[in-house]
Amino acid sequence: MKSIIEFFKSIKLAIFLIIIITIASVVGTLIPQLRSAEEYAARYGQISELLIRLEITDLYHSWWFMALLILFSLNILICTLTRLSPKFRRVFKPNLLFQSETLLAAKIQGKLKKSGSLEESESELKKKLRSAHYRIKETRKDAEIHLLARKKILGIFGSDIVHLGLIVILIGGIISGLGGFRTNISISEGEIIPVFGADFKLQLDKFETEYHPNGSVKDWKSTLTVIEGESPRLTKVIEVNYPLSYKGYVFYQSSYGWDWENPTLEILATKTSDSSSSKKAFVRLGEKETWEKENLTFTALQFLPDFIIDGNQPRTRSLDPNNPAVFIQVFRGEDNISSGWIFAKFPDFSQMHSATETDYKFELKDIQSAQYSGIQMSKDPGVNFIWIGCTFLMIGLFMAFYWPTRDIRFILKETEDKTEIISAGRSAKSILALESEFTRIMTSLRRPE
Amino acid sequence: MNESTLFLITFVIYIIAAFFYLVFLFSKKESAAKTGLSVVTVGFFVHTLALIWRTIESGHAPFTNMYESLSFLAWSGALAYIITEYKYKIRKAGPYLMLIIIGIMALASSPLMPKEATPLVPALQSYWLWLHVSVTLLGEAFFAVAFVTSIMYLVADSREKKGIAKEGAISSAKLDSISYRCVAVGFPLFTLGGLVFGMVWAYKAWGAYWSWDSKETWSLITWFVFALYLHTRIVMGWKGRRSALIAIIGFLAALFTYFGVNYLLAGLHSYT
Repeated sequence: MKSIIEFFKSIKLAIFLIIIITIASVVGTLIPQLRSAEEYAARYGQISELLIRLEITDLYHSWWFMALLILFSLNILICTLTRLSPKFRRVFKPNLLFQSETLLAAKIQGKLKKSGSLEESESELKKKLRSAHYRIKETRKDAEIHLLARKKILGIFGSDIVHLGLIVILIGGIISGLGGFRTNISISEGEIIPVFGADFKLQLDKFETEYHPNGSVKDWKSTLTVIEGESPRLTKVIEVNYPLSYKGYVFYQSSYGWDWENPTLEILATKTSDSSSSKKAFVRLGEKETWEKENLTFTALQFLPDFIIDGNQPRTRSLDPNNPAVFIQVFRGEDNISSGWIFAKFPDFSQMHSATETDYKFELKDIQSAQYSGIQMSKDPGVNFIWIGCTFLMIGLFMAFYWPTRDIRFILKETEDKTEIISAGRSAKSILALESEFTRIMTSLRRPE
Repeated sequence: MNESTLFLITFVIYIIAAFFYLVFLFSKKESAAKTGLSVVTVGFFVHTLALIWRTIESGHAPFTNMYESLSFLAWSGALAYIITEYKYKIRKAGPYLMLIIIGIMALASSPLMPKEATPLVPALQSYWLWLHVSVTLLGEAFFAVAFVTSIMYLVADSREKKGIAKEGAISSAKLDSISYRCVAVGFPLFTLGGLVFGMVWAYKAWGAYWSWDSKETWSLITWFVFALYLHTRIVMGWKGRRSALIAIIGFLAALFTYFGVNYLLAGLHSYT
């Protein structure tokens, strides 16, 4: 047990672990994570199997990375605990019996002789220290006065609070990893879906997209209602950055999309030689539409929201309606007189192929399609630990670096109706500031009042 | 008058400041350095105006694309430099820092950087954008000062060892201590802005406070390097050369987090 503690309290272990975890983290950003075995084989050839076996392909969740983090937590914990009791002693029961040799061996030290009695010098020194906001503890030993002046003493615990915060964060991370889940769902307006593992359901009342004047998306808003049993409990509009929280579950607006399976297409057919003869129709895929006046029927066979020709084959580049196109067939009686793609954004660019010259023009005027809202559903029981840990972390850091503790030790002794003062300053984190303050105090002591 | 004019004026003022610093570097005239500092301070105020202008014009925080964030980084660098200069009188670092700041400004004004203020994508429409980015960059600006003083330390140290240190040069011990002070100021800011505010915002916007996204991972790496700097120094008593090297590596990691990740690695933070 003792040797285990000896092992874990070593700062060298901490340095070693920081270096190893840092290197591993770098590796994880250089090798793409969580790709398919084929992709790794293509990229890395023979060593790809080794990478997969060592879980370097999912490095941050690998057993060995977890083991490193756990070792690191133990290291931090034991380092901090073993340092705590000497620190408490230093703060609350400081040793006031200094050796003048120790003081004179310190980096910041001074020695001077001052006229006047021991008591006079003592009260002058204390006055100066108090005006520099030092708190004083003192004791008498034989003919000497030992005086300890300290300020910002609580800063000494800054690093411990930082370490405590880090451990709480790591615990939170483990809880999130074990007890949390995250999943993406698509939900259309009016749809009600059950929430995994919860006793309530979620309904999407309304979904809308807001646009900037230049056409780019400004925001997505989903109006969600939580339904428990049969009754609605809560309705909230969520948008990106403003999720809905309910019973430990959080619902985020993460994306949106269209249901292109069943769009309604507004098609305008016009007779080229006589533009007064036209037919506007709202058609669905596969439905036949009749234009009685011209004795024609037409039907929409295929719809692509973002049309592109890819090696002679039309396909859609994305699920956004960047270049909507529909393939239509035109019949007179049983004869297919014309067919081809028409484009909503390029009405003059229709690609209709006809057996014989036709007198008709077809335009895709508008497309209507149900939008769905992409919602990320998550439950993260570790998250409160993270915020508590972060709070400790920041309080500790600001204490350690913006409230650095410093102390000055003094020995005063009377020698031939003069007072000899030996002193030494100590500060781990603000040596420069202490040095100048120390010099100032010592110089002012030299001057007679 | 508009934002790009103000930006250009700032750029010119910084170049003039750098000129005075270079005169100081070669002539050793203190007055040149003093003029340089006043010129930088003026430039800093014009730059501040430019940033405010940009904010009003675009209606969002002035660091949502590469151009804006470079300009803001240069501004933070100037601020960190002015603070350390007034506090520690590190005149000699002035010329080098000015060259870095001018380099950043030149990069920002290069034609490769799109300058139009575009409307924000939904994920960026949050007051956390202000908190996260500004505090992080401020922390990184102090790392930049530590980087320069660490390099100066290495030069001063080798000169002192060879006995060819110039009269009146800043002692290596002082440079070492200024580097440490800058890291000590920058580290809590970087932790707060980069990691803590980043986690809070990520939780609000993406639903996960930590995703091992490459920018997140690289800021953690940067944080680890500076944690290493502080522990080796405070607990193990390392100083001088080794500390300077760690501070240099730390700043390079911060730089990679800032640039490299956007251009070389893909991830959630790909806003360019």
